[in-house]
Amino acid sequence: MNKVAIVGAGITECRGRWVEATYWELFQQATRRTLEDAKMTADEVDSVVYGIYNDIFEHQAIPESTLTGLIGMANKPGVRITTGGATGLYAMRAAIQEVAAGMADCVLCIGGEKATDCFDPQSRTATPMVIDTIAKSWDPFFEYPLGATASDSYMQLCMGYDDEYPGDIGDSLVRAKIIEMLCRQGNKNPFGQRRDEKVTAEQVLASRWIIAPFLRLLEACMYTEGAAGVLFASEKKAREISERTGVPPIWVKGVGAANESYSPGRGGNYKPLSRIVSDHLAAERAYAMAGVRPSDIQLVELHDAFVAQLMITMGEMGFVPLGRTRNLVDEGVMADIRELRDDQPPPRGKVLINPSGGLIFGGHFVGGSNMFSMWSARREMVRRQIPLALIHGTGAINAVYGGAIVIELGDDPGKSPTGDGGAQ
Amino acid sequence: MSSERESILSNVWNLPREVSEVAGKDPGTWLQFNTHMVTFYQQTYGELSRFFLALKSCRLIGSHCKKCQQVMVPAATWHCPNCNFAEMEEIELPHRGVLAARAPITIFPSASFIDEAPFCRGYVDVATDAPIASFLPSRLMTTTGLPRPGIFVKGTELKLVFEDQRMGRIRDIFWVPVKELPSHLVDKKPLFASDLNFSSPPMPAIARDPALEGALRKAIEAMRSMAEQIPRSPRAQKDLAGRTHTISVRTAGGELTLIVAGSGLRIEDEPAKSPDFAMATRDPAVFTRWVGDGSLTDAAVEGTLWLPHRAAFAVLPILDRLPRSIRRDVRDRK
Repeated sequence: MNKVAIVGAGITECRGRWVEATYWELFQQATRRTLEDAKMTADEVDSVVYGIYNDIFEHQAIPESTLTGLIGMANKPGVRITTGGATGLYAMRAAIQEVAAGMADCVLCIGGEKATDCFDPQSRTATPMVIDTIAKSWDPFFEYPLGATASDSYMQLCMGYDDEYPGDIGDSLVRAKIIEMLCRQGNKNPFGQRRDEKVTAEQVLASRWIIAPFLRLLEACMYTEGAAGVLFASEKKAREISERTGVPPIWVKGVGAANESYSPGRGGNYKPLSRIVSDHLAAERAYAMAGVRPSDIQLVELHDAFVAQLMITMGEMGFVPLGRTRNLVDEGVMADIRELRDDQPPPRGKVLINPSGGLIFGGHFVGGSNMFSMWSARREMVRRQIPLALIHGTGAINAVYGGAIVIELGDDPGKSPTGDGGAQ
Repeated sequence: MSSERESILSNVWNLPREVSEVAGKDPGTWLQFNTHMVTFYQQTYGELSRFFLALKSCRLIGSHCKKCQQVMVPAATWHCPNCNFAEMEEIELPHRGVLAARAPITIFPSASFIDEAPFCRGYVDVATDAPIASFLPSRLMTTTGLPRPGIFVKGTELKLVFEDQRMGRIRDIFWVPVKELPSHLVDKKPLFASDLNFSSPPMPAIARDPALEGALRKAIEAMRSMAEQIPRSPRAQKDLAGRTHTISVRTAGGELTLIVAGSGLRIEDEPAKSPDFAMATRDPAVFTRWVGDGSLTDAAVEGTLWLPHRAAFAVLPILDRLPRSIRRDVRDRK
């Protein structure tokens, strides 16, 4: 496999709704910023991979077809990936494969979602119809007719986990403290959706239940409209671009992915309700390919659909033991951003988790959320000089899809690094 | 509970054909147009037809692999994915099962299920003797009022119930805890929805506790003080406009009645003779916290406030608005 590097990244502002832009404009904006970040033109890109989760949100089947010409990708190969919440992760995996296989020197991976144009005529609000649109990810025979939603699907796993490992994710105060920390981090993301909000642990504990006892209103990810792009390049191309931009290349060291069975069950290949095995397998595979262990990694951008799930995922990926994921707070495994300058790595033994604010404070435009995570990880690696980072994505009913990518900070080409793709 | 003449979509699922202006974050005039993405289907059941035909005739079937002995329920395929797609045989399953993990209760459903919340769905282990088995995604019902935490926990023994009118769909069946059944129904097969009483659940026994009488007086005082402010709060009056409810409340500290009428709220410190419905909680402070900007809905979601049915639950968000509405009007007056 050929070496692959990340040479540019760019994102739009994350908004609850963009009435000023269609998804055409959002994807173009992110493409423009990504190319500007790499000091490249669209002509230099060989092919494109799109991450768009749900046709119903965009209100068009084959929604990427309308984007091709608008984002400068006419007459190049283009493929769309859709794998639920893990769409962005799998889109990046596909882009990496094209470069690794030697089929392309430079691939644009671009993803986003226009999620909140959905509208429920009954309540005269968007949310119930957004939930309904996501609920169409369940099968029409058995699950959808029962009224399954994304929240209760993830909470089903939290309940299964809590049955197996009591006294861990069930402590509301631990979860509230994590939220408080994510909020502070989100305040530092210039593109973050909730960058002006101050949420305290007390406010989290006083917020309304969505599903008791693991999910209050302030513990859930957002619905976001936006787009993000990442440019992957071959070694030769990466060094050339790095010279241009002055930003070190970020090398892709390991990629892992796993999809569990759709059906939960007992034994065999059925999905266990007490675990997110997909997260575990994906991370293990990425570590094995990269030749690293979780203890080598001090920066994680993970897909935090809900904070209780963030805790389980950190356990599945080996940063804290399953059953003791509360060590993130109790033992200070989660680095406190207040103790770090903006150019400082976390101290040994601590992990910076979702400095972007994650999906709860930063943004969650589903098809591009994991590219948003990659954009943030690259930015933090470069400015804090953190050698390794892990990007994670999860999705589909009961979190059965999982993916992970390990990246490594390359040598500085000798110029002033910014890594601040999209900051104009 | 469902009629074959029921339409797929009700008339509320519609919007006028229009283009309207919408405010954004950036200055400028921005437009949006009303549209839809409704597709109707005559969805094929194909190989799943056997499973749904069985439901219609009050049988629960699974597919069984003679090689690895796994049982799939529902019978999602007839060729074992673990054994090089060996042919699977039909087996009839018991009408008893065990809840595989604690089940979430949905409060905020999708647009298609708004009228059904709160409801509970979970995974039932039916083929408990099989070494490998899938779990049946299931609607879970209780005869003891609204679903609340503590009823559907891991290991809860469940009984399969069939709707009296069955069409051949997963909603033809649901499960209830075995311990809620009178002994003569435990082994009845098939058990029908009409064999059970969901419409008038018994209120849970709440023993009087003199130590909580003070808490009740405090709650009543707090609620009366809030009620006195409603005539000066246009927002609170709007919350209650056109509503009439007489709600009996039983607590361990004593009883009271909430009366909503004439866009106002009245608190009586005795039970109503013929209330619309009754609520129950051991701790009267649930109501003091409500007045202090807490939430009755949250108390119901946590299971500390007992409610008999969905219609009762639908009243809580209205009551929950009152403290906030009053606070906002007080702030505006200043």
